[in-house]
Amino acid sequence: MKQRVFWSAAIAGMLALAGCGSATGNEPSSNSASGKLVVWDWKSSDKTATAYVEKAKADFAKKHPGVTVEFVAQPFDQYYTLLGAAIQAGKGPDVMMFNGGGQIRDRVDALVPLDQYVTQDKARLAGWDAFVKDGKAYASPVTLQGHPIYFNKGLYKKAGLDPERPATTWSGFTADCAVVTRATGASCFALGNKEGIGIQFFLSAFGSGILTPQEYDDWIAGKRDWNSADVKQVFQLWKDVNDRGLNSKGGNSTTLFTDAFGIFQSGKATNIVGLMSDIGHWKDFNEFLGADNVGVMKSPVITAGATPSLPFDGGIGYGVAKWTKDPALAADLVRSLTTTDALAAFYAAAGAVVSDTTVKTSDGGPAVSAIVADLKTGKPALHVALSSKTIELMGRLSQQILEGSVSVDGALKQLGESDRS
Amino acid sequence: MPLGDSLPLSARSARAERADDMDAAPRRRSRSGRSSWERLAPLVLVAPAVLVIVVFRLWPLLLGVNFSFTGDGDRNGAAVGLDNYAELFADPLFLGALRNVVWLVLLLPIAVAIPGMLATFIYLRVPGHRFYRSVYFFPAVLSPVIVGSIFNLLLAFDGPLNGLLGLVGLGPVDWLGDSRVAMFTVVGVHIWATFGMALVVFLSGFATLDPALLDAARSDGASLPQVIRHVIVPGLSRTIQFVFVTTMIGMLTSMFGLLYVMTSGGPGGSTYLPEYYVWIQQGQMNRPAFAAAASTVLFLVMLVVGLAQVGFLRRTGKED
Amino acid sequence: MRGARISRWLIAVPMALLALATIYPLVFTANAAMKTRRDYILDRFSLADSLRWDNIVTAWTSAGTARYFVNSVIVVAGAVALLLLLGSMAGFALSHFRFRGSKALLLGCLAALFVPFQVIMVPLVRTMADTGLVDTYPGLILAYVAQFLPFTIYLMASYYSTIPSEIVDAARIDGNSTYGVYRRIMLPMGRPALLSVGVLNALFCWNDVLIALLMMPSAEHRTLMVGVTSLRGQYSADIPTFASGVLIAAVPVLTIYLFFQRRIADAVTAGSTKG
Repeated sequence: MKQRVFWSAAIAGMLALAGCGSATGNEPSSNSASGKLVVWDWKSSDKTATAYVEKAKADFAKKHPGVTVEFVAQPFDQYYTLLGAAIQAGKGPDVMMFNGGGQIRDRVDALVPLDQYVTQDKARLAGWDAFVKDGKAYASPVTLQGHPIYFNKGLYKKAGLDPERPATTWSGFTADCAVVTRATGASCFALGNKEGIGIQFFLSAFGSGILTPQEYDDWIAGKRDWNSADVKQVFQLWKDVNDRGLNSKGGNSTTLFTDAFGIFQSGKATNIVGLMSDIGHWKDFNEFLGADNVGVMKSPVITAGATPSLPFDGGIGYGVAKWTKDPALAADLVRSLTTTDALAAFYAAAGAVVSDTTVKTSDGGPAVSAIVADLKTGKPALHVALSSKTIELMGRLSQQILEGSVSVDGALKQLGESDRS
Repeated sequence: MPLGDSLPLSARSARAERADDMDAAPRRRSRSGRSSWERLAPLVLVAPAVLVIVVFRLWPLLLGVNFSFTGDGDRNGAAVGLDNYAELFADPLFLGALRNVVWLVLLLPIAVAIPGMLATFIYLRVPGHRFYRSVYFFPAVLSPVIVGSIFNLLLAFDGPLNGLLGLVGLGPVDWLGDSRVAMFTVVGVHIWATFGMALVVFLSGFATLDPALLDAARSDGASLPQVIRHVIVPGLSRTIQFVFVTTMIGMLTSMFGLLYVMTSGGPGGSTYLPEYYVWIQQGQMNRPAFAAAASTVLFLVMLVVGLAQVGFLRRTGKED
Repeated sequence: MRGARISRWLIAVPMALLALATIYPLVFTANAAMKTRRDYILDRFSLADSLRWDNIVTAWTSAGTARYFVNSVIVVAGAVALLLLLGSMAGFALSHFRFRGSKALLLGCLAALFVPFQVIMVPLVRTMADTGLVDTYPGLILAYVAQFLPFTIYLMASYYSTIPSEIVDAARIDGNSTYGVYRRIMLPMGRPALLSVGVLNALFCWNDVLIALLMMPSAEHRTLMVGVTSLRGQYSADIPTFASGVLIAAVPVLTIYLFFQRRIADAVTAGSTKG
């Protein structure tokens, strides 16, 4: 009896194998030839992106009624692993999402330069630089990603400070922090550096308050002097802030997303370096603290001669794979994914500050208005200019600096070597 | 379950010598009398398995080794000789990952002893044994991502565990943020999350244990530790060997999910394991050929550690 | 005698505590699944204030879970059936026959056991693409079989080598062919091993994310765990929905385990009374 069950299971398994083989084994190797485009991203399954994707699909369907579009939302954890495997196999999606900066620049070999297809979008959209390598754009920006310093106005009020006039110098800023901590027990910063992201945000948020405008521009242009006093000041400050107890506790074991943002959202920290795209941003904070209690400031002036600005770049964007059969068709889909209508829907549902700066943000509360106003004087973020390898090393070293197992000078030496190679 | 010698074949040959005359007659008959199908039968039995393993495991492995001698990025596809390997062994992060493998091997006996003890107690019917048998498997069904997330919260610096320690006057430990502690924390959670599987294997291993031996030991007045030492451990030596091998493979190949969620290799790279290194280089750094070199080293390390262990276990098994 | 009884209870106390610790994550997950995202962020540990099923519903509908569920069942059933079949056949051959190369085969099998998936990840995708098996059920099933077969063979060979050759010889004298011995002796006597290795393999396949992701890139072929994992966005913000997905994925495995562990236990008892 038992044997019969086993055998029937085994035979059923074999039949299933054979059956499936005939049903799905003969798929055409090219999607676009059969009138289908496949898009990979890690957003389209989010509830907040539904309207955006629908708008983009509708726009594309108007232009190309015979072509079906399939969005495949991949888990972000494994996204670049999957993409790497697809690139190696030379088979994969026609259109794919990228983070700006190192992640796309490392993979331009697998992408089609988009410049000839998107000339009409160049002026309307901001944030192209994060997707450019050697003068060619490989993706159209969807969002802008930046690192505003958010603060909790409610805590300022409780401590008797004026929330409309945050300090503009470092000493003033830390003095305010001390007042708030005494009055409410909230720490100055919510720090999450488990993934080594905390340092990236810190570097970019406070860099413009430390480096001179010339140093800043040189850094972005690739002329980075890791031995300069100002660069050292950034990392020394990273250490001092922690040594002086300004950070929430256990920064090295706290994740930035969910944990550190949770600390800020529940009023246990006064400031946090956040984001402005679709998560860890003003809208999330408004939800917990109330729109009137979410403040945004630029970096205080830490070194004389610095001109603080909002650090921002293109956030996420869509690019076209080299192996797609009809690059023009795929590029058209990218264009549909960056129409004003679609982006407006993304802003409305997710609160993302999008690449199309004509999208109205006046209904979002004071924080987003302040961010959008700062875009005009904003500059590219310092960490986005670094290679993936240096970023990864910086994350590890930042943890060791907090632990005390590496000195600031030692870390800078390693970073300088990594950046040069 | 009554697992054979790690290399079942040698067990069989030893037995064959012992029972030579019983064995010989049918064996001879099968050689002369039966059809050629009978002679080929064992080959037919292993053929499909061999085919699958060769095509989908060994072949990709060879491809990977071959790939590891090429370059990435600007040198994409070009032969670079041993460059990747030279870079690999100059990378302190990779060396640190290999050092952590040594820790895993050293912690292995604990990972085997815990489910072994628990299975023994369940077999000896401690009060509530049926219940334990069911629930101990629960963590194994949850994905490492959720297990890791829960332990992140429990082990947070201001989390419940440190709260408990504070109550009894012990200072807080930064379980996941202190580079001297984090690796052991992750291994501990891994053991906790997977001991249910080893338990299943141990429990089915008790099938071969002769209850008469246990009863005899008991009526001789043997204590529990004595029963374990003189009856259960020798009786289950093969199961223990098997659990050793599979637990090690589990530790060396499937801690990725926990690592990713609990420490992301940090702090300061202290919890890197080779598989995580491979994954980072392949996915995040987009260096597939370099990752292939790291993979090849990882495979060789696994092979040496694994075979050494199998050999060691076989020798100690024979002494029993 | 009384001393023994006391020591049994003394052992039972820590075991009961451990049992609580193993149940807790499931309770935590279920509790988180009942919370709103806001409640979860503000306090992770507090009990949910009501039985809220929205997250479960969202996880089930928005992730297309019903379809993924079917995919998972097809793939896991196919892989486990094939694993048990091939594993018991090869295990029988390697434990009861000596033929040229059998020793090398066994060693090769053992070596294959030590290949972590990350090592062959990229070349395997390429091999699958070359053979046209990428994004097909047989492709994923074969990937699983290749991944877990060495383990299965090793276990089955070890188990079968404890079945005395006298039994095999007696069956042959009774007129059984090799196939008959396999079917009449090896399969029935191998039941405890087949059951436990089956349960473990089912669990491995069911919970796998990486292999499934790589082998089944298209949305309609996703397995349940892949669907659940992609509920975690870039920054895992919506833990309650994710926890709901985890719960949905865990229920079938738990059911199978609870069902089969009785059978395994029965097999254990049968073995010990016989022995």
